[in-house]
This record gives sequence, C-alpha cells and structure tokens, in this order.
Amino acid sequence: MRVLVVEDDAALAEALARALRAERFAVDVARDGVDGHHLGATERYDAAVLDLGLPGRDGASVLAAWRTEGRTLPVLILTARDAWSDKVAGFKAGADDYLTKPFRTEELVMRLRALVRRAAGHAAARVACGPLCYDVALGSFELDGLPLRLTGLEWRVLTQLMLRREVMVERADLIERVYEGDADVDSNSVEVIVGRLRRKIGSAMIETVRGHGYRLTAGR
Amino acid sequence: MRRPRSLWARLLLLSLLATAAALAAAGWAIGGVLERFATRGLDDRLDAQLMLLAGAVRPDGSLGANALRVLPGFDAGAGWSWRVVGADGRVWRAGPVADLGKVPSPARPLPGGSGPGGSGPGDVRVDGPARPRPLEGRDDAGRRVHGRALTVLTPAGPVRIAAAAPRALAEQPIRAAMAPLLMSLLLLGVALTAAALVQLRLGLRPLRDLRLALARVRAGEADRVPGDQPTELAPLAAELNALLAENAAGLARARGHVANLAHGLKTPLAALIARLDEPGADPDGSLHEQARRIDARVRHHLGRARTAAGGTPARRTVPIALPADDLIGVLARIHADRPVRAAVDLPDLSVAVDAEDLSEMLGNLLDNAWRHARTVVRLGAATDGAFAIVAVEDDGPGLSPAAAAEALRPGRRLDERGDGHGFGLPIVRELAELSGGALYLDRSDLGGLRARLRLPLSPGRTAPPAVR
Repeated sequence: MRVLVVEDDAALAEALARALRAERFAVDVARDGVDGHHLGATERYDAAVLDLGLPGRDGASVLAAWRTEGRTLPVLILTARDAWSDKVAGFKAGADDYLTKPFRTEELVMRLRALVRRAAGHAAARVACGPLCYDVALGSFELDGLPLRLTGLEWRVLTQLMLRREVMVERADLIERVYEGDADVDSNSVEVIVGRLRRKIGSAMIETVRGHGYRLTAGR
Repeated sequence: MRRPRSLWARLLLLSLLATAAALAAAGWAIGGVLERFATRGLDDRLDAQLMLLAGAVRPDGSLGANALRVLPGFDAGAGWSWRVVGADGRVWRAGPVADLGKVPSPARPLPGGSGPGGSGPGDVRVDGPARPRPLEGRDDAGRRVHGRALTVLTPAGPVRIAAAAPRALAEQPIRAAMAPLLMSLLLLGVALTAAALVQLRLGLRPLRDLRLALARVRAGEADRVPGDQPTELAPLAAELNALLAENAAGLARARGHVANLAHGLKTPLAALIARLDEPGADPDGSLHEQARRIDARVRHHLGRARTAAGGTPARRTVPIALPADDLIGVLARIHADRPVRAAVDLPDLSVAVDAEDLSEMLGNLLDNAWRHARTVVRLGAATDGAFAIVAVEDDGPGLSPAAAAEALRPGRRLDERGDGHGFGLPIVRELAELSGGALYLDRSDLGGLRARLRLPLSPGRTAPPAVR
C-alpha cells in the first residue's frame, strides 16, 4: 500500500512517514500544497493524508482539484481545525475521513487501512480468500488461522492482490503501489516478491496472467 | 447651577430663556411706544398753551392782560396750571394749583443771558430751537406733574413760560393698555413654549430611533444601524456602523488567531505524540500522559476562546435541519465501520443561534451518541413555548446521573480513548447557555443517553406539536 502524506510541518511529516513505514506502508511525503497536488494527480496512491493549512496551496483546494480531475483516491484530512463546520466543509470538498491533531498513530493507521479497504469495495473488516485471511484493522494476514510473517514489500504486494482477490492486478499498477516514489525499481523485483509469496502461501493461490499481471485466487 | 444633563431639558431651558427675553423686550418696547403716544397728546395741549402765552408777551417783558383773557379754559381740568415769569421777575399764573415753583429751571443757561443780544429792539423772539422743553416734577400738593417750558427773549430780558398737567393724565391710558398687553404676551409665551415642546419631541425623535436601532443591533436582530438618518445624525450612524464593522472584523481576527494558535500548538503536539508512539519511546506511558494533558488544556482553552468569541454578533435564524443533515452525513462516514443508523425526525424549526455554534453543539452531541450507540442514534425536535428542544439519543450503555454530572464538568472527558471528539459535552453546555438555552442529560427510552438541547426559537415561527 502506497500512501501520500501532504504535511508542511517537518517534524510531524517525518514522524508520520516513519510510523507508516513501520506499519509497512510505502510513503511519499510532500511538504507543500503544490507538490502534494502534483504527486496526487500524477502518481498512483492507495490513500492520501492531507493537511489543510499548507503553504503554496491550501489543502481544501488541493482536494477539490484532485476531485475535479477525477482522482478518486481516498483522502484523510489531518488538521488542527476541529470545528464541526470545518469537518462538514472537508467532507463536502470530497474527503473520505477526517482526523484532528493531535492523534494517536495507531488510530491513523487503522483509519487508513479501513479507507483503502472500503475504497476497494469491502464492507467487512476481514477479507478472506480461501485459507488466507486479512484483518484490516490489525493489518495482519492469517493462513489457515495461523499468523503469516511478511516483509514490507511482501505485505504490500499481498494486500494489493487480496483487496482485489479473484481479479487480475496489472504488473505496472502493482509496481506503482508497492514502491515509494524515489525507490530504484528493478523490473524483476515484483517477480521475486511474488515468488517468495508463493512459497509462503502456496503457489496455486497467485496466478500469473502472462504479460499482464497477477491474480490472487482461492482456486475455485 | 449645574447644567441640565438632559439634552431635552437643555434645549427647553434655552428656548424658555429666549422666549422670556423676547417677550420682556417686546413688553418694554410696546410700553415705551404707548407712553410716547399718550405723552404726545398731553404735550400738544401744553405746547398750544405755551404758544398762546408766548404770543401774549409784550416787548417790555410783561404779559398782556388782554391776552390772558383770550386763553381757552385751560384751567378747567384739575391740576392744569401755567406760570409766566416776566423779565422783571413778575409772575403770572393760573390753575387751581398754579404754583409751579417746584418746576426746575432750565438746566441750560439762557443763550445770551439777560443781555441785549443781537436781535433788534421791540422784537419778541422764541429762544434757540423753537421747541418747548419737557419738565418733570411735583406740584404743591405733591402730585406728579408733567410740564413744558419755553423761554422767550424780549428786549427787556428773558421771559420764562411753563405749563403743566397732572402726570396721571398720561399714565392712565398706559395703565389701561398694560393689562391686555401683558395678557397677550403671556398667551404668546405659553404658545411659544408649547411649540418648543412639540419641536423638541419631533426634533429629538431621530435620536430615539437611532438608540432603538442600536439596541436591535445589540440584541442581534440587525448587524448595522440604518444609514438614512437626518443630516446631523448621518455621520453618527456612519461612525457607529464603522465601529460595528471594526468590531466584527476584530472578532473575525480573534477567531482567526484562535485557529492559528490551534494549528500552531496542535501540529507540534501531533509530531510529539507520533514520536512517542514509536516503539520504545515511551515505555511506561508517562510521556503520553503529559502529552494528553497538554492536549486537554489546549482543547479546553480553544473551546473557551471559541465560545467567548461566539454568542455576541451574527445571531441568526438557523433551521435545525440544515446542519443536522450535513453532520449526520459526515458522522456516518467518520464511523463508517460501525453498524449504527440514524433515525431523524425533525420538524421545520429554526432557532436564534449562531450557525457555527449550532453546528458545534449538534456535532458534539451526535458524535457522542454515535460513539456509544449499539445500533441507532435518534435525533428529534419539538417546541416548548419560545424554545426548541432538540433531543439526541442512543441505545448505548447510557450514563448514571452522577456520571452525567461529571461529564458536564469542564476539562473532563469520560471517554479517554478515541481521537478526542468525545471531549465536547462541557463545551456544548457552555454554547447552549451562551445562546440563552441549556443542556440536559438523562436516560433515553432506547436505553442509552438522552441529551436535550434547549434553544431559543427564532421569533415569528409558528409552533408545531409540543414535546411528547
């Protein structure tokens, strides 16, 4: 899962990025509204965390611009403005969730995971595919009821496949949603990760659609 | 004397003084004119007598006896008299009290003295300006007399002629005219005073209207005083409106400062807490506790600043349903993973509360209900006299009376978990009280908490069904 954080306060942006990476998210940080808008408009993200009081361009205007440009990524507004009229305005501008500063990191992470899950069309907090089960609130996978240990890259690839289970996920899309913006991407690395995942969950669960991408399937 | 504090009294006093002075001046002037007329009639008769006597003076300075006989009945009226002092000092006189000895001598020495002068012998000529001089004095009986005196020069020397009549003859018509004169002046004074009162009442009405307009602004029924004032008040109204606008701008600035302060404090606090959330940063949770206390203080004071900034202006008519619909939509998304539905039954009611404040009150109550509800949050409203009662209920665990009282104490938060939305009950109560309403907490028939907001209805709204 790849998340865009648009926050001008250096200390908070850094701490946020560290906390989200510790939860195995791929994180890009923009420090002003102009950069933030550009990244959100050109890159593929699973969600964005957007501050409202930004230099360069106000967060509300960034959000409104994304929406008019047809960007549907889930957006969580993170702001010190805690009046209900601000929240109403935020949701009306197209936000999907709203969190006021200060906040607990675990709350933010849970809300982000829930946002991504709902955006993928899953109403329940647990997503299952055959013996594999994803607990969205905890961000953990179980295989046959036993916890599955995954590296960050493995987790990101598997959540992408899991949230679109039984559907082909394009390779390019996978690469975009797994690596951070400034990462060196080896064209073979996704194959390597998928190979490692197959060894962990059984090779039949991940089908290769030759030349296009991968599909997670319960094998029916 | 202290100057009167009332503008009305001051203007009235000035008008009364001016009227009194004008009437006094008019009375004095009219009296003077009357007196001159009455005196002139007397003078004409006295002067005729003087001229007759002067015509009877012979060149030797004596009075011709024949001439005396041709005089008309000058002495007929009581108190009329005349006297002629010849050049040799002989005295002729007539009248019941004919002694004019008290009549003062001419103050002016006779021109040419008793000398021969330049005039030819045998001439009798009237001295200087051929005008008799007035005399005032008393006769032998002590009555005041009015007389005329003339000096005639003869070759033998000056002959002094004087004639007098009772002063009362001149004063009587004046006295007779004075009573109606004073009466009409008095009536005029009363009429002018009444006119001044009417003028004051009409003239000062715009001042009263302006005061009422300002009172409406203070009551929140208007945001400025009308500009179409009389010329003298228009600048005052403009100044007042400028002051009101400045006030509103200052208030907006203050709210802006509060928002900036919130941002300024909360972002570093958020960074601090994010750091503390990192593994091993705060093993025993004591630093989190400190951060939580800072957060609680910041929220408390920002909430207070917001309520202090609210209330004052911009009290408007807001339909309850307007923010309620928005808030329910927002809360359904914030709590998207909770299987809670909203049961809304709002009649068309509007309350006289600042829109932002209403949104804050309803937002906090609904959020609280959503947080604790198991399946349903109910929002309803009814009227109670001049008030709307808005009820927010849930089917959660509810609060005991003691816990409800505790929940309303400022700075307390019963629900310490979550992202802090549950902090709002004391602020809701404060906002409700600032708007002239109240907040009550009790148990809902759904089983959970029932929070009831009592808010003033906007004036001019008809009352739908009463509280169930």
